[in-house]
Amino acid sequence: MKNNLRVQRAILNITQAELAEKIQVSRQTINTIESGKYVPSTVLALKMAKVFAVPVDEIFSLEEGD
Amino acid sequence: MKNTLLIPSHYKVIGWIISILSGCLGLATLYLDFKIPGFSFPFKNSSLFADYNLTNEFALAGLIIGVMMISFAKEKMEDEYLTMVRLKCWQWSVLISFGVLFILNFVFYGTDFFAFLIHNMFTLPIVFIAKFNYSLFLLRRERENDEK
Repeated sequence: MKNNLRVQRAILNITQAELAEKIQVSRQTINTIESGKYVPSTVLALKMAKVFAVPVDEIFSLEEGD
Repeated sequence: MKNTLLIPSHYKVIGWIISILSGCLGLATLYLDFKIPGFSFPFKNSSLFADYNLTNEFALAGLIIGVMMISFAKEKMEDEYLTMVRLKCWQWSVLISFGVLFILNFVFYGTDFFAFLIHNMFTLPIVFIAKFNYSLFLLRRERENDEK
């Protein structure tokens, strides 16, 4: 699964730490999601979408092999 | 997703203290035949207990409680990713612990086998604690590199 979390963060101009605080996870978690190592739960994905005020599939998208 | 089996993070420190103390006591009873004088079961005629001194039982109980406290204590920022890391580390430790048992099964016989079983009892939590802390260390380092 791909994501454009870095881009979304840049648009809102918030750091990994600030995003982590908003959705109550650790900075490491945000970092692993951004680097594509971890696929977050639906709850977390929805929380992120809420922060960025976009639909979930604008942040996350399927890629070949999923 | 809440991991409800976990206990508050300050239990980790308590767990380490209890484990180290009872670990030392356990090793002392096992190798030096150390016994706390007078620390024994009141009924001496019971055939249930091979030796009546409770030092080794006390040490083992302490060690079990201690390592469980360390293993199940929350991290400061516990979230769903950490829950996954935890489960992966438990998988590794189950694999390694049974792997060791599998090898022991062929390598040692009789009393030697049982002597090694005593040590292998704690392979599971020890491998977990080591692997989990190593994973946390790698994560922290990765994040610090990312911030640069």
